[in-house]
Amino acid sequence: MSDHVDGPRSIGDPAADITDLFAFTSPENPARTVLAMDVFPSAGEDAMFSNIIDYAIAVRHMTVAGVGNNAKFQPADDEIRFSFRFETLKHDAAGKAIQRGVCKLPDGRELSLTVNEENGTSTPEGDVRVFAGLRSDPFYLAWDIAILKKLPNLLQHTNVLCIVVECDTRRVLDPAKGSLFGAIAETVPPQKRGLLGPAISRIDWIGRPEQTNMRLNNPAMSEITDLRDLWNQQTPFAISKVLQPLFLQRLKDSIATWDMLDGKADWMPEAIAATANVLLDDFLLFDVAKPINDKSHLEIEKSTLSGRPYQTGGGRTVDANSIDILLTWLVNNDREFLLGGATGATKPGMNVFPYFATPNTELQTVSESVELAATPDDVWSLIGQFGGAWHPLNARVSLTGAGIGQLRTILTLDGQQIVERLEAVDEAKRFLRYSNIAGMAVSHYTSTLEVKPKGSGSVVDWRAQFLAANATDRAMKVRVSTLFKTGLESLKPRFGVAK
Amino acid sequence: MTSVAEVEHPGPAATDGEIAAINLESACRGAWARFAQDPRLPGVAEEIVDSERLASQFLGDLDVLDRLDLLASKFARADDSSRAPLVQAEVASAAHRFDDARGYLARAARTGAPREAIERQALAIDQACGVELDAVLAARRGFAKASGRLEDLVPLGALLADLERFAEADTVYRRALFSYDDVSPFPLAWVCFQLGMLWGELAAVPDPALAAIWYRRAIDYLPGYVKARVHLAEIYASQDRMGDAEALLLPALSSRDPEVNWRLADVLIAQGRFEEGERQLDAARSGFDQLLGRHLLAFADHAAEFYAGSGNDRRRALELARTSVANHPTRRAVKQAQAIAVIGGEAAAASGLHEACGAGMPV
Repeated sequence: MSDHVDGPRSIGDPAADITDLFAFTSPENPARTVLAMDVFPSAGEDAMFSNIIDYAIAVRHMTVAGVGNNAKFQPADDEIRFSFRFETLKHDAAGKAIQRGVCKLPDGRELSLTVNEENGTSTPEGDVRVFAGLRSDPFYLAWDIAILKKLPNLLQHTNVLCIVVECDTRRVLDPAKGSLFGAIAETVPPQKRGLLGPAISRIDWIGRPEQTNMRLNNPAMSEITDLRDLWNQQTPFAISKVLQPLFLQRLKDSIATWDMLDGKADWMPEAIAATANVLLDDFLLFDVAKPINDKSHLEIEKSTLSGRPYQTGGGRTVDANSIDILLTWLVNNDREFLLGGATGATKPGMNVFPYFATPNTELQTVSESVELAATPDDVWSLIGQFGGAWHPLNARVSLTGAGIGQLRTILTLDGQQIVERLEAVDEAKRFLRYSNIAGMAVSHYTSTLEVKPKGSGSVVDWRAQFLAANATDRAMKVRVSTLFKTGLESLKPRFGVAK
Repeated sequence: MTSVAEVEHPGPAATDGEIAAINLESACRGAWARFAQDPRLPGVAEEIVDSERLASQFLGDLDVLDRLDLLASKFARADDSSRAPLVQAEVASAAHRFDDARGYLARAARTGAPREAIERQALAIDQACGVELDAVLAARRGFAKASGRLEDLVPLGALLADLERFAEADTVYRRALFSYDDVSPFPLAWVCFQLGMLWGELAAVPDPALAAIWYRRAIDYLPGYVKARVHLAEIYASQDRMGDAEALLLPALSSRDPEVNWRLADVLIAQGRFEEGERQLDAARSGFDQLLGRHLLAFADHAAEFYAGSGNDRRRALELARTSVANHPTRRAVKQAQAIAVIGGEAAAASGLHEACGAGMPV
């Protein structure tokens, strides 16, 4: 995953664990630039920022110091830094927890904010606007990347804590000194010296997505030392010269491994070396003078490595398919786009501030099961038919289409019509997944039905997740649960009950 | 032993305990939601086990073991890899069902689980059961030396304390505390609590004042730390500071941990508030009964202590203590059973316990 849970140290406090970094032109106003960092993988509805972490996004001017196999991006010494601190919780009259914070701007001004305030807060001059709070996770990963197998989005319906800075590009970033920038984000603990030594410099940091979880700790490589914690202790824009050879070799080995994941060699050794060199300098490149769009991510690096002037502003938008862009580059050197099992995150980004989609409501879950005396194959031969009419509450079932995507229309005994879509089926594993299209007071309804062996018999698991719509959560849970139980109970006389 | 400078040193800074507790619950709910989407998602079942165990250890959430049982059975049905028996083993260990846990680890080995994951769990079981302690100590020292991390140092300290090497345990715990460089308050509160236990209950010559400092510090890191509140309240009560003890226990009542009701009952009765005290004792009895009905092995030792004292049922206390010894014949478990037998005037039983457990006793 992008930078989700990327080292033993960062697992300590999830609110210090950075997941992603973004840099793009404001969709609302092209004269403004948006920088954003996400923390806390799979944050729940009440998640809060740590009160002792310094959450920072730092930007430096960059110059192209070499092209082709000598490609190099050189950071300036000066840093444009946005630094966020949050307080302990206060409680309102109703007992609801409120968290406030402060953003320290690059010129020393301070901007107070309240977490989860949708409109954020702006400086009186209007040159900077900030937001902090829970949002839908914009990152999506829909692969088992070690074996290049497509999966549904592994981060579907998850949330993150998000920090957004929107600034007037000209006044804050000063593009007159150059329009190319490199950005990083970091979480910095208090820098007090303890009894046994100095504090660590940072808990986590990020430049380009997947530096740690895919490039340094390539899941396709076996028996390798986990370098992620060591990497997280490096100083952004200044990786230890002593350790550079170690990281560089790992990056080269990693790219070579990615290259062969599809069995075809698409990279020349010298290109691997040059790319590893560029990736060793880990910052998110963006150019405010050129267009940044959903497809421009990594274009600056790729063009420069190819010896061409770059055409876009690179960066990373909220909706950029960063994992597939990266995977395609590493695995086949952009020969053929690799599209994973999802075409977007749970929710797309927004065109208005704070640009990151509202948080996902927690899904309701219903799960029922029954243990039967018959073999899994016998049970599956009945209930594994998507168009089968085995459920006692169904009067008629008709199918439209075939294979994945087919629709079944169910007419229930009480005269209601329900339409469901087959999303996945695995006959060998006796598993199917479907979604609801119409006929139930729900949204985001996904259900799975599965038959597994148990002893000499079998167990049938039927579960669903959904958001209730036009009905209370409780009412919908009761309805779905009753539906499942009635169906599963009807299997007992047919197949016998497991002893 | 802890130097004054170290006790006075504020210790590493950590995220506020209230925020950390909210975030733990938040992360746990998020993991359960993902588990419901697909139980086989990489790392999710394991994350739930970790989060739920934290909730049990620090926040006194007594429903954790039920939820973990549910998780283990659902996961085992959904996943046919070696992950499932590893999770089942961890859940069984959490409920002190060590024989079951060993069985699951054997299955994990047969299904190709990573050797290190199996060995780590087996080590924890051996330590909890007080067997092969020389080998456990060597392994713990090895892990602690290799990583120097808190999560390896604290189990080493706990083992040294079990072996009554208190000064060495103290040194290891302090190293764990002051070498911690993350910002989660849970590990820090854990070490402080262990130091409180070391000097309040385990050391040959207890130092309640020092123990109280460590328990207080654990609560400072994590105000919702139920067990630290209970232990500190016991010290306050022994010093006749009933008001302070009551103030510590009242916020912990919401955890529904019967030990809170029990200690609060003692504090109330000591203040002459018999009716309130009796109500709390009834709640404690009922709470322990419910827990024992669901997870006998997990709560046998605590319940034995309750029934040997304010619970006033020595026969039951001895039964529970014997159950506990049979399940994990550690030095502490045997001592507890012997003490209960002696209080109950069952000298023969006490002697029998000693003999019965002699072979398995740690040395």
